[in-house]
Formats: sequence, C-alpha cells, structure tokens
Amino acid sequence: MGVSQRLKSRFRKFLQRPGTTVDLGPLSKRLGAIEAREEALQELDDAALTDAAREAADYVEICAIGREAARRAISQRPYDVQLLGAMALLDKRVAEMATGEGKTLTATIAAYGHTRLGNGPVHVLTVNDYLAKRDAEWMEPIYTLLGLTVASVTELMTPEERREAYAADVTYVSVSEAGFDYLRDQLVTDVADRVQRDLATCIVDEADSILIDEARVPMVLAGSTSVESDPVHEAAALMRTLRKGKDYEVAEDGRSVAFTEDGLKNVEEQLGGIDLYADDQVEKLSAVNVALHAHALLRRDVDYIVRNGGVELIDEMRGRVAQRRRWPDGLQAAVEAKEGLSATAEGEVLDTITVQAFIALYRTVCGMTATAVHVGEQLREYFKLEVAVIPPNTPNIREDDVDRIYSAHDMRDEALVEEIKIAHESGRPVLIGTLDVKASERLARQLADAGVPSNVLNAKNDAEEASIIAEAGALGAVTVSTQMAGRGVDIRLGGSDEKDRDAVVELGGLYVIGSGRHDSRRVDDQLRGRAGRQGDPGRSVFFVSLEDDLVQRHAGDIIPASPRMDIDGVVHDSQVEYAVEHAQRVAEGVNHEIHKNTWRYSVVIEQQRLLLAERRERLLTSEVAAIMLLEKSAEKAKETDEDVLSESARAIALYHLDRLWAEHLAYLSEVREGVHLRALGKLDPLDEFHRSAVPAFQELLTQVETKTIETFEEVDLEDGWQPDRAEIVRPSATWTYLVHDNPFGSELDRLIAAVGRRLTSGG
Amino acid sequence: MSAFTSALRTPDLRKKLLFTVAIVGIYRLGATLPSPGVSYANVRACLKITEAANNDLLNLLNLFSGGALLQLSVFALGIMPYITASIILQLLTVVIPRLEQLRKEGQSGQAKITQYTRYLTLGLAVLQASAFVALARTGQLFNGLCDQNDPTYQIIPEATGIPMWLTLSVLVMTMTAGTGVVMWLGELITDRGVGNGMSVLIFTSIAARLPGEGWSIKESSGTGKFFLVLGLVLVIIALVVFIEQAQRRIPVQYAKRMIGRRMYGGTSTYIPLKVNQAGVVPVIFASSLLYLPQLYLQFFDKNTLKPYQVWIQNHLADPVSPLYIGVMFLLIIFFTYFYVSITFNPTEVAENMKKYGGFVPGIRPGKPTADYLDFILSRITLPGALYLGLISVLPNFFFIWLNQSQYQNFPFGGTAVLIMVGVGLETVKQIESQLMQRNYEGFLR
Repeated sequence: MGVSQRLKSRFRKFLQRPGTTVDLGPLSKRLGAIEAREEALQELDDAALTDAAREAADYVEICAIGREAARRAISQRPYDVQLLGAMALLDKRVAEMATGEGKTLTATIAAYGHTRLGNGPVHVLTVNDYLAKRDAEWMEPIYTLLGLTVASVTELMTPEERREAYAADVTYVSVSEAGFDYLRDQLVTDVADRVQRDLATCIVDEADSILIDEARVPMVLAGSTSVESDPVHEAAALMRTLRKGKDYEVAEDGRSVAFTEDGLKNVEEQLGGIDLYADDQVEKLSAVNVALHAHALLRRDVDYIVRNGGVELIDEMRGRVAQRRRWPDGLQAAVEAKEGLSATAEGEVLDTITVQAFIALYRTVCGMTATAVHVGEQLREYFKLEVAVIPPNTPNIREDDVDRIYSAHDMRDEALVEEIKIAHESGRPVLIGTLDVKASERLARQLADAGVPSNVLNAKNDAEEASIIAEAGALGAVTVSTQMAGRGVDIRLGGSDEKDRDAVVELGGLYVIGSGRHDSRRVDDQLRGRAGRQGDPGRSVFFVSLEDDLVQRHAGDIIPASPRMDIDGVVHDSQVEYAVEHAQRVAEGVNHEIHKNTWRYSVVIEQQRLLLAERRERLLTSEVAAIMLLEKSAEKAKETDEDVLSESARAIALYHLDRLWAEHLAYLSEVREGVHLRALGKLDPLDEFHRSAVPAFQELLTQVETKTIETFEEVDLEDGWQPDRAEIVRPSATWTYLVHDNPFGSELDRLIAAVGRRLTSGG
Repeated sequence: MSAFTSALRTPDLRKKLLFTVAIVGIYRLGATLPSPGVSYANVRACLKITEAANNDLLNLLNLFSGGALLQLSVFALGIMPYITASIILQLLTVVIPRLEQLRKEGQSGQAKITQYTRYLTLGLAVLQASAFVALARTGQLFNGLCDQNDPTYQIIPEATGIPMWLTLSVLVMTMTAGTGVVMWLGELITDRGVGNGMSVLIFTSIAARLPGEGWSIKESSGTGKFFLVLGLVLVIIALVVFIEQAQRRIPVQYAKRMIGRRMYGGTSTYIPLKVNQAGVVPVIFASSLLYLPQLYLQFFDKNTLKPYQVWIQNHLADPVSPLYIGVMFLLIIFFTYFYVSITFNPTEVAENMKKYGGFVPGIRPGKPTADYLDFILSRITLPGALYLGLISVLPNFFFIWLNQSQYQNFPFGGTAVLIMVGVGLETVKQIESQLMQRNYEGFLR
C-alpha cells in the first residue's frame, strides 16, 4: 500500500465510511490461541467433545470447538478467515465475505457461539425455503456434535411441525416464513396455538438482500372477503382494445400509467356510455384503472410468469419467483384476468409488518453477505449495524473487464453471441446473467441458432436449479440464467465432480458475462462473484446496450446523439460511460427512496402494532376482559357462569380488537395514499400522517371496550360465542407502489422550475 | 403551549428541546461576541448616532442576523450566506445538467449537493465578510454618519501596533469561520433538535431584537404607548396565527384499489389550500422593489434634487406617506397572485393526481380538474392577498402613530411577525407530531 493509499484509507476511516469502522485486529489476535487448542481437542472422543462444547464460554473456546466439530462432522476444517467471520457475527456485525468463502459454516459456528453466550434461541434467516432446508440438513452433524438441536421451517409444514422446529436451539427459516409465523402468532385466540418462541437472535444470510432489498416489501396477512362482483375480467377484455399513446400514456419512468382524454371516452363508450367519474361508479373506475396498470406496466416473463394456472411474481433483485408475493389492492386479480385465468379472491388485510420491523424485534441481529459495504450507510441508518470486511482466504485473481457498451440491442446481442461462441469453442465454461426470463430465453434461442448449446436457468425451471448449477463450471458448459445464478450459488470449476478442474483452470476459469447492468451495483457484483471463487481464476464483463431499460429510463436524456465508436461497434465515450453509471445510481436512489418512505411511514404503525400486541397478550393470558365486563356490565356478567364469562369475554374482546385493527390498517393505507397532497398546503406529509394515525388509534382503543360490552350485552351466551372470523388466513407479501413523499418538490423547487420553464420557452 | 409542557415530560423529546435551546444559546453568544480587532465601545457609539438613519437593505440583513451584523461580531454574517448558497445551487441545477443528474441520484447525490452548498457558503462568507469589513472601514456600514477618521468612532482601530493587513485578514477569517459554525449549528438542530435548524436560527435572531426595540419604544414614547403597542402586537400575532392555519380542503379520492375500500366521510384525503398560500415571500418582493426609489436617490446630492426627485423622496421613499403605503399594499397583492400562480400550478397538480388515479369527486380528471383547482385558488387568494397587504403596512401606521421613522423593519413589523409565527407554528407542529408518536404510555397503563 502506497502512502497516498494509506492516507486515503485513514481518511475514510476518519469519516466513518462503512467497512472501515470495525477493527479486526483484536479478533485476529485470538487466532493463535484458537490454533493452540486444536491439538488437545483432537484427542477428545466425540462424547467428550460434546461435553466440552457445552462448557465453552469465550470466543477462543467457541471457535476452537466449532472448528474441531466441523472437521469431524463434515471433514472441513474452517479457515482462519471463517473464524474471523464467526467472531464478527458474535460481535453483532454484518460480515462481508466473498463468494465461496464458506458463509454457511461461519454462520454455524456463530449460531453455536450465540447459544453459548446466552443469546439463544438462534434463527438463521435465509432468503428462501430451499436454502433453509439445505443448510440445516448440511450442518446438522456439526450441531449434533456440539450438543445442539437444529431444524428448518418450510412453507408446507403444519403448525405442529413448525412449533417443533422453532423449539430447536437453532432454526433455519426463510425470512418470510418467520415473519408470517410471527404475524399468525399475533392472531391466535389461545396461547397454546403459538408456534414461535421468543425472538432472541437472528443471523441474516445474504444480509443486504434481506435487510435492504426485501425490507421494502411489507408482509401482509390477509383474510378472505366475499367478492360480490367480478369486474376485472370485463375490464381486462376492454384493455386489449386500447392502444398505447392514443388511449393511454405510460410515464417516462415506466412506473405509472394514465388514460388520455380520448382513451377515457373510448372506455366509457364501451362500458355503455357511463360517466366513470360519477359518484356511483367508483368501483368500475377502480377496476378499469387497475386493469390498465396490469395491462400496460406489468410484463409477462419479466415481472411475472404464468405457471400451474397461476400468476407468480418475479423478484426483481433475485430473478426468482417471489414466494407468496402478491400485488396489492386487486392488482393481482387484474393480472390474472389479463392472462385469462380465474381471479383469486383478494383478502382484507388483517395484519402487516415490514421485514425491517420484524428484524427489529430480535434482540441480537447480525448477518453476512458478499456485498455489504455498498449498503453500509443504510445498514447503519436502519439497523445500527456496522460492516466488518473479512479478507478472503486466498486473494481474488478474477479479471473484471470494463463494460462493453453498444448503441443498440441487436449490435449488443450479436457481439454477445460471438463472444460466447469463441469462449465455448475453447471449452471454457461461460455463465451469462440476463436481466429477465424473456431475455434469457431469447438469448438461448440465439445461441442455438449459432450452434452453441446452452442450459437455461430462470424462474420457470427453478426446480432444476441445483443440477444446472452443479454442471455450470464443467468443461464447455454454457449456462444462461437470470439473476437467479447471481446469489448464493456455488459454481465449482470442472463440474460437480471437479474432474476437469485443471483443464478449466488452464483455460482461465469461469467466464461470467452480464447481458446488461442491473438496477443495483450489488447485483452486478454478486454476478461477477460467481467467478474467481476461493482464489480460482476467472473473468467477468458486462455487455451494455444503450437501449437497455435501465439506461433509457434514467439516463436517456444525457446520452450524446452520436457517441464515439470503434469499428466493431463498441462505444468509447466518457459521457456514455458516465451515463450508464449514472443510470444505475439513479435506480439505486429510487429504490432507497422507496425503502426510506416505506420505513418512515411504517414507524408509527409499528409502534401501534406493538402496543396493541401487548394489550392483546394481556387479554389472552389474563382475565382482564372478564373483569372489565364485571365492572361495566355488572348485571349480565354476574348472572353468567364464571367459566362461560371468562371464555366469551376473551373471545369477544379479541374478536373486536382484531377487527378494529384490520379496519385501522385499511384507514391508514387510505390516508397514506393521498397524504402527499398535503405538501401543497405547506404541511409535512409525514407529520400529517401521524396527525391522522394517532387519534384514530386512540379511538380504536376505546372502541374495543365499548364494542365488547355491546356485543356481550346483545348476544345469548348459552351455547358459547362464535365470531364470524375471516376464516382463511392467507399470508402474502405485497409489492410496494412508488408514491413520492412530495412529488411536487419544495416551494423553492417549484419556483425555480417555473422560472426555468419560462426561460426555456421564452428563449 | 400544552404541547411544550408535555414535550418536556417525554424524556427524549425533552433532550431534543434542551439540545435546541443550548444550540440557540451558543448562537446568541457568538452573535454578541465581538470579532478580534473590532472596538466594541466605538461600535456602540456609532450605533447610537445612526439610530435615526434609515438603510433598508442593511437593516433587513441586520434583522436576519439578530443585530450581529452592525456589531461585526463573530457570527455577523449569520445564516444568510448559507441561504444564499442553497438558492444559488438550486438555481444552478436548472443550468448545469451535471447537478440536475446528481439530484436525481437520490440520497447519495443529494449529499454531494449539500457538500457543494457548504463549500459555496464558505466562499460567499469570505466575500461578504470582506465586503462588510470594507464598508466598516469606509464608514458606509453606518451610512457615512460615523466618521472613520475620528479615532473615537473607528470601528476597527488603527493604533494597535498590529499591522492592519493582519487585523483585517484575521477579522475576515473569524467571520468566515463563524459562518461555518452557524451552518453547523443549524444542521445540528435539524438533525438532533426540533424544527428546521435554519428557520429556528432566523426566528432566534428576530426574536432576540424584541426586548431591545421594545425598550427603545418605551424610552421614546412613554410607558402608556409601550403597553398599547404591546397589546396591538399580541392582537396581530393572534390574527396571524389564526389566518396562517386557515385552509380550504378540496376532497380527493383515489380509485386504484379494489379492496378494503370504505368511506371515511371523505375527510382523509384532500388538498389543503391555505388562505395565505404565498407565505411571506410577496412581502419581501414588494419591499425590495420599493427600496429601488430610495436606492436611486442615494446617487444624488440631497440638497440639489430636481422637483420630480423631491416628489419621489416625499412620496415613494418615505414609509409614512400615504402613496408609499398604497403602492406597497398593491404590490403585495400583485406579488401574492404572482407567487401563488408560480408555486401552485393547477395543471401540474391535476396531472399528478391523474397519474396516481386520483380525482376530485364529481369532477373529471385532467383539464376540468385543473380548471376547478384554478377557480378555487383564485377565490381563496383574494382574502389571502388582502391579509398579507394589511399585515405588512401595519408597521407604517405604527410609524405615523408613534411619529417616528426609524422603525422600518422593526421586529414588531409585518414581515418579522409573519416569519416568526410561521417558524413557530412549523416547529410546534413538528413537536406535536413527535409527541404523539411517543405518548402512548399515558393511556395504556
């Protein structure tokens, strides 16, 4: 490191830049002591090791025993850097560890350590069920040797199985399952029905993905409501007759769409000459609006796929099917109608929690990922987590080429196919990351035309994921994938049995090609990270087209009309290179903005939810409801049998509490939708939101009581009381709309914009 | 008021409030702390002679800096350089595409722009500090009434044994550094205190002048009139508070959701149109414009004015002349309409509503909505404009009544009251909102 380099890193540290704030020095000093314990531990038999594991109380002992257990159970001796990572996790950090450095094993030692330090039970939160199950099974021998029980939770489990799994010392569970189990536990009417224990410690796998990307998506528990009419199919049929540009216009950023004057008239005519904006047509108007959104903004095989007679959403960051995710507010039904499927009933929101608020319920939070520094500021802002950068075990020797930028799609595709063909002919394995399902299929076709066979991995065939990935590093393999292959998969050179490893290394290792920049630098980096694992050779490059959505949406206006180009069509223009980077930063900024707004508006709801949970807990576990009724409705309460009173009082009170909460949530989302308009009256939208939310909640608390008394006095309690609960409780995570907090900008912005308009139109 | 007392009972809000008060204290301390090289005694002497003089622009600046400017104190420049820098950068985003692109990049880009604003603030501070030091040296800071060749009035005394260039550069550096500190104090309040830091500091500066000015009224006009003025000011403040909170709510409905739609009396979603939608800006525009005749006259010798210039002096440059008051009133009404039409663009609002599926019940989206908004807006702006005009010319009637002319822009005047009430209301609203979030304990246990 040169002097200027060193000065720069000092300065970054002084500025508290993420990734510089955690000093690994004290942790690495322990490595010697850990190694010194190794020999003695090796002499113990398994039973003695298990006994020793139950005694461990400090980092040295925990790491030494963890290492020995891993060596015996799965014949992998954890590297020093993995122990460093484990200690960083014990220190409640986010450990940044490169791909292939063995995060799973690191988490295992940390999970063991946390239980030993009294932070148990530990949940290891994964991004999906598959990983939860795989990791739990893979690591089980180690845990057994350490004297701990381990289990995993997956979607299809019954409540009993879940309860059993959560009773283990360490539970592997996808973050959405854990969140939904929490929400369901909040709605039980009998304490014995709960499945989760206390939320003590979580180790978050792929921390940036879960804590930042996923945090934008609220998890919603929905009950079914009876649907009287089905306006969505009629509306969907109508949409097919409309034309873009004439009947409706899509906003530049591709996130909103509205009818034109003509389009509106057209629709009204087709609906039988009605006035959609008349007071009694609100429902039709909503149906038409939602249908238009589904028709114009959501693209099949990009935003969703159709499989098994249903619409499944694709996670834009991961390229996978997003389990249980649905679009909110009837949009899901509209998309189903668009695809000619029968629309599933939309549920009423019973309870909701954001991933961020759910994680905050854990007393101890730590995590690991390969791309943490990039979101370090956000991790600090939202979770008070610092990033510890763990060095790789062997230095990374992957070559990262500069982007190859082409001015048009076909030029890019041609060059891309050519590049793949050349690499393939040499036998070098190639992994191509495409932006969406459609693009992956198109590229596979183009490759086939050029005589290059390829395996396709996308949301549609995710069942074959493991087998495709296993062979992606084999000699001559060409794998076309979406972002699915970008995270959490380990591609071994030479195929699953590594028999051609040397030959592949000779050829330069895995060649990773991105067919376009993603919405986030981290996703790009994750894709690159598939090559060059554990000191392997590798190479990565991105082929960018200036017609890519990302570039067009966010930087379309700053690309020079005729950029400088090579003979082979590669653009070499600093302005263009800047534009591509800029487009990505804007996309990241937009996502951050959504996250921030989701969070800012959920803070107050979260507080209210916690307060209500506390009150609900008391209703559930004590006789407060019965006591209240004895006071307020003494006459009837005294006549009633004591057991009947206790039971029915509880049931009635819980019923009203849950109902009122669902109504409260509906009210809040109503307010949220239009609260940005308050900025026009120079009011702060967030303050205004609180001003609506807080009195409504106070009202709710008193209403629980009055409604409980009312119901109690009305009903006949002879045969016990049965509420008409919203029966099917279906979990779903919804998708967040982009609604700017203040789309109009500050007053000064508006003033300047107006002046600017006048200047440009005048001059 | 009850908001404040209960805020004091909430631990972390109390911390925030006390933090803000402490920062304000530091700010006031720096505003009275004389810079090195400045003779405080001589400044006092000069202030005394020039009390009767009238220089609108410097007075306005002095008002914003809480009297620190004329004393050449450490915080003499106050937050004006920062405000100027923010405005300049905002303007530059229209001109320089790179800045506009940064702004689009969201938080990280915004952070960079803030950083540029800070650099520009310091640059402006050096310029302004040099300018004011130069003005002080030539005596123009006090309108030439304070002879700088006379050692008893020399603001920056020469006979100190320290070379003059050193004294002057230390002075400029001190004032620049002071601006940096003020900027930091403002940001601290925004981050960790209550309210918007910049607004709170302006509020402090204006409020800091109240006792002194009140005292001088008492001295010159007697206790009776002083209490009368005090009473009147309280009435005005009450009126301003009342009008500032008055709004017309235009209901808006969103038709994008199919489920969970209930009617909540239609009160939850609306566009609030304030009666005084324009705020204090038209007043500042109008007074700046009316300063021009005065500025024009300064180029001529007061004793050899031509007849039309005398007319200007008597009617357009004299705050107590009926014509001046009338023109001021009309200008404010004009600027109110002008400013509202610029900052509230009904077409843009209608477009935004349409984009997200919103509409005013009974009115079609697009042009009809824009027309409707325009109609309501022009009707509500009339009382707003009249109110602004009245509040702003009130101090001129005070002058006539008190038979004095030195109180232009004095802190009981319209501009100052409007700013103070505006900031006060905004801050109290913020406290209330934070309070509501934290105050559940009360009704839970």
